[in-house]
Amino acid sequence: MKNVYKIFTLFVVFLLANNTLFAQSGQELVDICGMVANQNGEATYLKDFQIKLEASKAGEEQQSDRYSLLLSKNTIYRFSICNSRDFPGEAILQLFDNNRLLGTNYMVATGNSYPTFDFRCTQTSVYHVFVNFREGKQGMSVVLLSFVERF
Amino acid sequence: MKNNILIMSKRLIYILLLLLLITSCGENKQKKDDFSSEFEIPDSQRYAGELAISAEAMDDIVENISSPVEIAALIKAVGVPYSKDYLATTDFVDKYNTSFKKALGLGIFGADLGYQNMYNKTGSVIDYISAIKSLADGIHVGQFFDFTTLKRLATNNQNLDSLMYISVQNFNQMDRYLTENNRSNLSSLIVAGVWIESIYLLGEVIKKSPNSELSEKIGEQKIILSNLMLLLKNYERNPDFKVLVADLAEIQALFKEVTITSILGEPEMVEEDGMLVIKQNDKQFIDISDEILFKIIDKTVEVRNKIIQL
Repeated sequence: MKNVYKIFTLFVVFLLANNTLFAQSGQELVDICGMVANQNGEATYLKDFQIKLEASKAGEEQQSDRYSLLLSKNTIYRFSICNSRDFPGEAILQLFDNNRLLGTNYMVATGNSYPTFDFRCTQTSVYHVFVNFREGKQGMSVVLLSFVERF
Repeated sequence: MKNNILIMSKRLIYILLLLLLITSCGENKQKKDDFSSEFEIPDSQRYAGELAISAEAMDDIVENISSPVEIAALIKAVGVPYSKDYLATTDFVDKYNTSFKKALGLGIFGADLGYQNMYNKTGSVIDYISAIKSLADGIHVGQFFDFTTLKRLATNNQNLDSLMYISVQNFNQMDRYLTENNRSNLSSLIVAGVWIESIYLLGEVIKKSPNSELSEKIGEQKIILSNLMLLLKNYERNPDFKVLVADLAEIQALFKEVTITSILGEPEMVEEDGMLVIKQNDKQFIDISDEILFKIIDKTVEVRNKIIQL
C-alpha cells in the first residue's frame, strides 16, 4: 500500500512540476498585451505575433524571429511586448527599415526595457521586426501592433 | 484488509484519472487555437499546385498588407460622414459558392465591417457578421469567428472597442490558420478582398468629398499593391487567380504614373510623457495627378463590382 501512495505522490509532483495546469497560452498573452497597448483607449489592435524560442546554447548565435510589416506614412503605430510568466526570457524587439535599425524597446545603456513604444512612421514601406530574448534565454512573448492615429 | 487495499487502490486510480483529465483539459486550453485536427479540410481547398516562389520566400510574406482599420480610420479622421451606400450588399451571400469567391467575399465584408465599426454603426453590423460567419464556415475557418460574442456586442450596442478588437483578431486567426495549413491561397484572397474594398471605399469618399490626404493615400497604394501582387501571382496557375491578377494588373499599370520619392532622415528615440517614441524623420513625397487618381478609382470600382456581382 505504501508503494501505491509513493507512486501517487510522485505522479502529482510530476504533473504540477510540468505546470500544465496553469500555463499561460498565447491567446491569453495577446489579450493582456491588447490591454497594455490600449490603456488610454487610444490604440486599435491590428496584428499580433507570437514568439517562442528555445534557450540559445553557449557559443551559438542567439535565436531570433523576424516579421515583415507594411506600415503607412503619417501614422503612429504602437508596438507592445508581453512576456510569458512561464519562461525566463525577456523579449527585445528591434525595428528595421530596409537596412537601418530605427529603434528598439531595450536600452543597452540603462538596461531598461519598455513594454510598449510608439513608432511615428513617415514613409510607407516594408519594415522588419526582429525579436530575440535577452541573454539568449528561453522565452515566449507576444508582440502586438496597434494603430494609434494619423498625424 | 485486502478489501480495504482494493478500495483505496480504486480510489487512487479514480483520482489519477481525474487529474489526467484536468491536465489534458489544460493542454487543450493552451492549444485552443489549434483546430487543425478537428476539422476535415477537403483536398480541393488545399493548394496543391506549384508556387511561383519558394516556400522559404513565402515565409517572408509581408504582414499587414491591407488592414480594414487604417483606411477606415483615415476616412473618419478627415471628417467624412458615414454612408451605408458604399457597402457591398450581403443579400447574395449564397452566391459566393466557390472557395475562391468565399475567401474574396470574406475580405470584402471584413473591410465593410471595419468601416462600420470605426463609425460605431452597429445597426447593420449583424448582417455583415452573419455573412462573414457563413463564408468563413464555407472555407472551414468559421471556428475562428466568434459570431456569438460579436452578435451580442453589436445587438447591445456596447463595448464597441471589443467589437473591433475581436473581429480584427478573428480575421488574423483565420489568416494564421490558413497559412499554417497549406491554404495560403485563400488567405491571400482575403487580403486581396480587404484591399479592393478598402480602396473602393476610399475612392467613393474622394468622389463625394475630394481631399488631398485621401488622394495621397490612393497614391501610396502603389507600394501596397505591388506587395499584394507578389502574393497573388504565386497562385496564377489557377484560372480564377489568373483573372484576378489580370484585373489588378490593370490597376497596377495605372500606378506607373504615380511617383513616390523619399529623403532619408536620421531616426531618433525619445521619451515623451513616459512613453518611448521612435521618430523615423524620413520624408516621402507622393505625386498623383487627378486624372490618374480617378482612373485608378474607376478601375477599382470595376474590379470590385465584378467580384460582388458574381
